[in-house]
Amino acid sequence: METLDLTINGEAVEALIDPATTLQQFLHDDLGMTGTKEGCGAGLCGCCTVMVDGMAVKSCLVLALQVRGKTVQTIEGLAPEEILDPVQQAFIENGAIQCGYCSAGMIMSSKAYLQENPHPSESQVRHALSGNLCRCTGYHKIVKAVLSAGEK
Amino acid sequence: MNSKREYQYIGKSEYNVNATAKATGRAKYCSDMQLPGMLYAKVKRSPYPHARIVSIDTSQAEQLPGVKAVIVGDEKTCPARFGAGVADEYVLARNKVRYVGDPVAAVAAESEQIAQEAVDLIEVEYEELPAVFDGEAAFKRNPPAVLHEDLKRYQTLRSVPPQFDENRPNVFNYFRIRRNNAEDGFKAADYVFENRFETAMIHHVQMESHCGVAMVDDSGRLTVWGTSSKPYGMHRDISESRGLPSSAVRIIIPAHVGGGFGGREPKAEQIAASLALAQKGYPKRPVKMKFTREEHLSTTTTRAHYIVDIKTGVNKDGTIVANQMRLMLVGGAYAGTGYLTARNAAFGPAANYRIENFSLDAYGVYTNQRMAGAYRGFGNAESLWGMESQMDIIAETLNMDPLEFRLKNCIDEGDLNAFEEVMHSVGGKACLRAAAEAIEWGKETKAAEPHLKRGKGIALGNKYSIAPTASAAIVKVHPDGLVELRTSTVDLGQGSSTIFCQMIAEEFKIPVSRVRVLNPDTDITPFDLGTASSRSTFNMGNAIRKACLDAKRQLFELAAKELEANKDDLETANSKVFVKGSPDRSLEIKDLFIPMVIGGYTLKEGAEIIGKATYYLPGVIPDPETGASEKPASFYMFVAQAAEVEVDTQTGKIRIVKIATANDCGKAINPMQVEGQQEGGVLSMGIGSTLMEEVITDNGVMLNPQLADYKIPTTLDCPDLANYKSAIIETAHRDGPWGAKGIGEGTMVCSAPAIANAIYDAIGIRFHDIPITPEKVLKALKEKNS
Repeated sequence: METLDLTINGEAVEALIDPATTLQQFLHDDLGMTGTKEGCGAGLCGCCTVMVDGMAVKSCLVLALQVRGKTVQTIEGLAPEEILDPVQQAFIENGAIQCGYCSAGMIMSSKAYLQENPHPSESQVRHALSGNLCRCTGYHKIVKAVLSAGEK
Repeated sequence: MNSKREYQYIGKSEYNVNATAKATGRAKYCSDMQLPGMLYAKVKRSPYPHARIVSIDTSQAEQLPGVKAVIVGDEKTCPARFGAGVADEYVLARNKVRYVGDPVAAVAAESEQIAQEAVDLIEVEYEELPAVFDGEAAFKRNPPAVLHEDLKRYQTLRSVPPQFDENRPNVFNYFRIRRNNAEDGFKAADYVFENRFETAMIHHVQMESHCGVAMVDDSGRLTVWGTSSKPYGMHRDISESRGLPSSAVRIIIPAHVGGGFGGREPKAEQIAASLALAQKGYPKRPVKMKFTREEHLSTTTTRAHYIVDIKTGVNKDGTIVANQMRLMLVGGAYAGTGYLTARNAAFGPAANYRIENFSLDAYGVYTNQRMAGAYRGFGNAESLWGMESQMDIIAETLNMDPLEFRLKNCIDEGDLNAFEEVMHSVGGKACLRAAAEAIEWGKETKAAEPHLKRGKGIALGNKYSIAPTASAAIVKVHPDGLVELRTSTVDLGQGSSTIFCQMIAEEFKIPVSRVRVLNPDTDITPFDLGTASSRSTFNMGNAIRKACLDAKRQLFELAAKELEANKDDLETANSKVFVKGSPDRSLEIKDLFIPMVIGGYTLKEGAEIIGKATYYLPGVIPDPETGASEKPASFYMFVAQAAEVEVDTQTGKIRIVKIATANDCGKAINPMQVEGQQEGGVLSMGIGSTLMEEVITDNGVMLNPQLADYKIPTTLDCPDLANYKSAIIETAHRDGPWGAKGIGEGTMVCSAPAIANAIYDAIGIRFHDIPITPEKVLKALKEKNS
């Protein structure tokens, strides 16, 4: 077991973990932050996307110990005071959420990208989200939602 | 019709009632479940496509520290077979394995890692048997392998029985239609066309893989949570396969399930249940079985490889006079829902056009692959792939516009389909016109470079919904006026909970936020056939409406006494009951409840205001010889799709320039959600199944069991926002709630032929099998030019 210190959604977290634990497993299984879903465990679907120091990261590809001392933001940290983030609001209003299993990762990827490029073109949004799979929506309303969040 | 009327909540794009929980990461799925003391399960699977199990040695696995239960397919764990229509399957294989991945043993342990180690320690000795993968070979009278030697002695479903074929031992269902005489029709026809079309085996790729959690309580009763789309089907499978009485099993489906699309046979749930029961003594610990992505892609239900033979006779004027088809679902080792898919793939071709002489033979055939069954469209995307490609071949020979040819033959209100059923609520022609208009049909567009070739294509489709069928609903009016729905419909993302809330909001004239939907739980929520066949809006919708009427009747009877009014003169809105025309003579619903000493509220009589109702639609089972039936289905959804493509003749890559869909759903209860279904059907599954997706196997081993190799469309594979168009056509159905039918399954049944017809228009090459990959395009271009 190894000790791990990091900041998650603004709170300091200290834990004793099995070094083989991925960040996704640490968040989802150990901390019960089940918004960070496991879709494939191989970095291919994007369901487990979180932000590490502001960058979108597939948390199944990172060992928890690799983010020691860093700042992690998960979907649960996006609306701490019940006030939804504009990206979350846009997903709801545009009907961009169906089964919802990809939504947290999709929203975190979108959020990270909009921080970097607040007013993207459609083509830029499509490239930014091309690593996040969704089977329900054909991405149509997701792309619409991100563009509308970008306009705000 | 009533679709013209204005409603407060029906027909409005209300936000999905689960969207906030999902957008904030709070929504809990079965995969997220953690129970105190929970064990984790892993499965030992067959490496052979067909083999006799000689022996299984679990002794080393049992001795591994942390292992709590090890099970194999014996009399104790697997006393009985189960299956949707043919009871041909044990939870764990007994005596022989029939596909690569067939489960032979399973372990529950303190962690997934220990469970996997234990599985690796299980030694199984096999004696290999000849295997069959080719559909035509398996179909033979003397096939190279027989999957189920005792098939004829297996139990079958009484209500919709499969028909076996006396002479073909691997046929698990045989369905036929004989309307008039196809042979005579061919003799009289000016032209006869004969072609074969095929579709590849594909997978649903739901984002949440299959998951089950099972627990035995202190009374010995079994509770199973899962990702199934059919709580009562899962209930039957789990109780029957163990010989348990139905009341001994409780099934719960969490409020959120990560996608369905037909492929939710409860395999993981069955393993979890077996391991929960198998633990020695008490307390028995809960067990979780979550399939890995690889297990999910390589062992769970697929859309079958289909072989479609079609022969069509037409007159010079473009009238289709005869059509004959043989449909073969090249199935897996167990029939599953595929027993019905094999039959019901006939419905699309039977109801697309007016055809006097129609003959069809549909087969489901066992091979040594994993189970093939339900997949959005239920066989009709496959059968219509053949029919709608054929229609373009015919139109070209007749020198007719493919749109005009379809409009000329498209079935209409009052026409007879191949079952000789009188058609009602038919939006086919309107869909064709809308889809054509959306891509500027008939107008040529030019590509930027000479090696890029553009073309346009169109196709017509329809999707029936199942009969016999039934849905039940319970509606409870709480003392604070909130109305609660108890339904066993599973919200897999399609948005059923949202439209149900809208329906109840409309009936009670309360905001959608004052309605809630309980998640399926067989102890609490009543029977439903299942979240399948695009049947929920229509069937559960009707049950909900009737249950609301029942609840309102009780409410008005109670209020009539208080208001000294006739119950028939009462109405409700905003959690109040009032006399029609005299809104001042009113009471709040809460005033009917008496606050009691110590706490709580009571009614003076009747315990609670609970409305309940069943919507039962028996239909008429088609005649086994001719298929004749005046009501083989609940309703038909119509669809037309049109595509413009650009083929890169240097790389073989196909780009969707524009794509359009028009869907007749009867009445859109929530237009934004209908659009969502259209988009997912066309852009993800339509484009994916046509151009990209294929389960590739070698001797039964899946070669692409990861998302890196089994590719589904990404944001970059879908056309830009401006180049996708959708239209909602509302052809009200007389029996539908507010005229509504359904939507989900109709959204991809003609995507493949629309795209392939456009490819033909672009490069003059007719593809007979999907997916149409760049490799196939390049090869075909080379052959054409040589």
